[in-house]
Amino acid sequence: MDDLGDTNKNRRGFLKQVAAVSGSMPFAAGAAAAGLAAANSAAAQTAAGAPASPATAAPPAAPPAPKVNDVFGYNSLSPDEAAFVETMVNVMCPADAYTPNGVDCGLAIFIDRQLAGSFGKGARRYMRGPWGTGIPQQGYQLPLTPEQWFKAGVAAAGQACQAKYGKSFDNLTPADADAFLHDLAGGKVKDSELDMASWFNELVYPLFTQACFADPIYGGNYGKVFWKMIGYPGLPATNTINMVQYRGKPFPGAKDPKSIADFS
Amino acid sequence: MKKLESRTVVIIGGGLTAGLVSRQLTAQGIDVLVLERGGDHTKGAEAKLPTQRDELRWDTHQGLAQDYGVQTYTLRYTSKESALPVRWMEAFLPGEGLGGAANHWNGHTWRWSEYDPQLRTHHEQRYGKKAIPADMPLQDWGVTYKEMEPYHHLFEKLFGIAGKAGNINGQIQPGGNPFEAPRRDDFPLKPLEITEAGIVFKGAAEKLGYKPFPTPAANASAPYTNPDGQKLGQCQYCGHCERFICEAQAKASPEVLLYPMLKQRKGFEARLNCHVLGINYDSKAKRVTGVHYVDLLTGTEYEQPAEVVMLGAFTMTNSKLLLTSRIGKPYDAASNTGVVGKNFCYQINSGVTLFMKDRWFNPFFATGSTQMYMDEYNNDNFDHSGLGFFGGGGINCSMFKGRPIGSRNVPPGTPNWGTAWKKANADWYVHSMAMGIQGSCYPHRENYLSLDPTYTDAYGQPLIRMTFDWRDNEQKMARFVAGKLSEVAHAAGADIVGPAAPRAAPFDIRQYQSTHITGGTPMGTDPRTSVVSPHLQHWDAHNLFVVGASVYPHNSGYNPTGPLSALALRLGDDMVKYVQHPQML
Repeated sequence: MDDLGDTNKNRRGFLKQVAAVSGSMPFAAGAAAAGLAAANSAAAQTAAGAPASPATAAPPAAPPAPKVNDVFGYNSLSPDEAAFVETMVNVMCPADAYTPNGVDCGLAIFIDRQLAGSFGKGARRYMRGPWGTGIPQQGYQLPLTPEQWFKAGVAAAGQACQAKYGKSFDNLTPADADAFLHDLAGGKVKDSELDMASWFNELVYPLFTQACFADPIYGGNYGKVFWKMIGYPGLPATNTINMVQYRGKPFPGAKDPKSIADFS
Repeated sequence: MKKLESRTVVIIGGGLTAGLVSRQLTAQGIDVLVLERGGDHTKGAEAKLPTQRDELRWDTHQGLAQDYGVQTYTLRYTSKESALPVRWMEAFLPGEGLGGAANHWNGHTWRWSEYDPQLRTHHEQRYGKKAIPADMPLQDWGVTYKEMEPYHHLFEKLFGIAGKAGNINGQIQPGGNPFEAPRRDDFPLKPLEITEAGIVFKGAAEKLGYKPFPTPAANASAPYTNPDGQKLGQCQYCGHCERFICEAQAKASPEVLLYPMLKQRKGFEARLNCHVLGINYDSKAKRVTGVHYVDLLTGTEYEQPAEVVMLGAFTMTNSKLLLTSRIGKPYDAASNTGVVGKNFCYQINSGVTLFMKDRWFNPFFATGSTQMYMDEYNNDNFDHSGLGFFGGGGINCSMFKGRPIGSRNVPPGTPNWGTAWKKANADWYVHSMAMGIQGSCYPHRENYLSLDPTYTDAYGQPLIRMTFDWRDNEQKMARFVAGKLSEVAHAAGADIVGPAAPRAAPFDIRQYQSTHITGGTPMGTDPRTSVVSPHLQHWDAHNLFVVGASVYPHNSGYNPTGPLSALALRLGDDMVKYVQHPQML
């Protein structure tokens, strides 16, 4: 897309920076961790391939089934918003010995799909007025849907970033971008209307952790990379025997977690 | 409004209490109609693999909870403020659909302390008549534990409760709870397998001289057939109980054990997708004449006449329908008069996290009730002389899930993102555990339910307003018991122990605490301080009965399901008598 060329180039440059920085950081040693990312990519390709079930096997003449999980595009985010989100998830999840970078883990796709879907549209939330202000413990009180709130916050954070650094967020160095996110979380970034700490801590951060740890059917946690990282075995049907056999011991199944797609 | 043919008994809300009461009534051939606002979950994605195991859908996004866009609650902290609506509830999770909140419960099934139903008398006898503060309206229930015991016994048999008796006919049993109210025999099923975290907790508690024991559980430790011939599968320890429906039918629930049986019985009908808008009340005759509801599948409103009405909705809705239907005098905090909405209580829960690099806790091997408990600092199990508060909490180790969005512990000081955050998650996910406190909440004059004057639900009816906060009594208690919790945590030999932070005001709806909200329609012997009689009969309409946690005059340091189920079974028998001879019981 021609009108986005510069932004995209800058973003790619940024990704390289993140990789370079994170590559220099000290990690826990261990062959398993070092080989994790490569193994995950392979596993993801297998998971995304054609189903092996005989019931759904294609007739011999049919072309290969498309890799549906590889069809990515944004449903909600604008190019500028996508630049912000991609930069953010790559700072919060740099490529390192544990996982690929946030974009490659599907974190931006996850956030985009959540915003575009029922969560973003405010489904099952009480959205009637009048609109008042209370204390934080009474919970969110704005008339904005989560999607609208997210976008308003991205715009406000972008302005604050421009004011402080003279650059858009996606053009910051990884260290500056990380510092800016910490300022957001710590309430040091102010906006004339929005409570930016509340925006980051109560909307953005939960979306980030969900993107990492939700089932991969939602677009994040690509290849179950975060489940493998912590040793969560996913969703086996039964643990009645495991419960006793592996009580207090490493569980081998944690190395090969199963997700909803594996049983679908 | 279309008027339907009259029914003998109409029950509002198709949850646990409705199922238990209907069991007793239909066994005697009495005609029962249950009206439930939601649908049937048993064949949905929520009850089938693999979609059942979706943390984001059922847990984070609360797929089984009430639709807050249709109906929510408002909150203020004192009578002087205007309330704001809870636009998305995290603190507690009302259910929707046949089975109610008992579809997505965890399964902890207690008999409360023997003195709980006489809590006021008990405190007056132990600490003197003047000891109870004027702003703490403790009251006796008008029923004794001894009267409830046969129904506890029946409920535990019906629901296949797994546990270890601590007190059989007054004889203390090793390995059980020495503070347990006396029971006639052991539980129908042996306790669930203990978790690795439970072993650590047990060791620490015993080192300090306490007597930890397994929590009584409705998660079947073995296949089980109940006295009605209804079956439970064996628990799979999958860690998807609370907020989920058990696809293995191993978690005792009304949709597993009660409704399939009831649907086969003559005279039983459950009408789904029917939202009750009000109870029809004849204030001169002091009788209810039926209910009116909207059928959500057609949008049609109906009047459903009934000889007897039972209100068995979620705690909040029981108060709401009485208030909107103008049955009973609304509670007024300023004058301390009236009853409906009174004695609204919750539970004050605190916790601590432990990290042990050499122990494999494998949090994903769990069930909702794989919990060890100790009762030494619960309720009035210890001397409160000079402490400046009443009540207490059960100290516990509940390893009930390893679901990774919500159950990752990292040591204090860990950054919230970046490589160090990943490293902490990778290092500690299977090597951390938590201990906690489930604390009682005694009534306070300023904690109550009323109708909100401003906000309405999707049907145009006022929302229920909570005036609620953690008052001094609960905060002092939480600090005291958290000190004891901290001692147990530090006795466990962990590499890192987080702070045992006592929960404090203000009440925060953004954090899940428990779904154990109680009160609003308290039971008691005095119509001036209670909504229903000791037989759960409304003082102002003797053909209206109310049951559920809403009738508790206080909340204990235990989960609420056991006593309300015993009360519901007893109410079923009482309603049989009432149908035969309609009078004040």
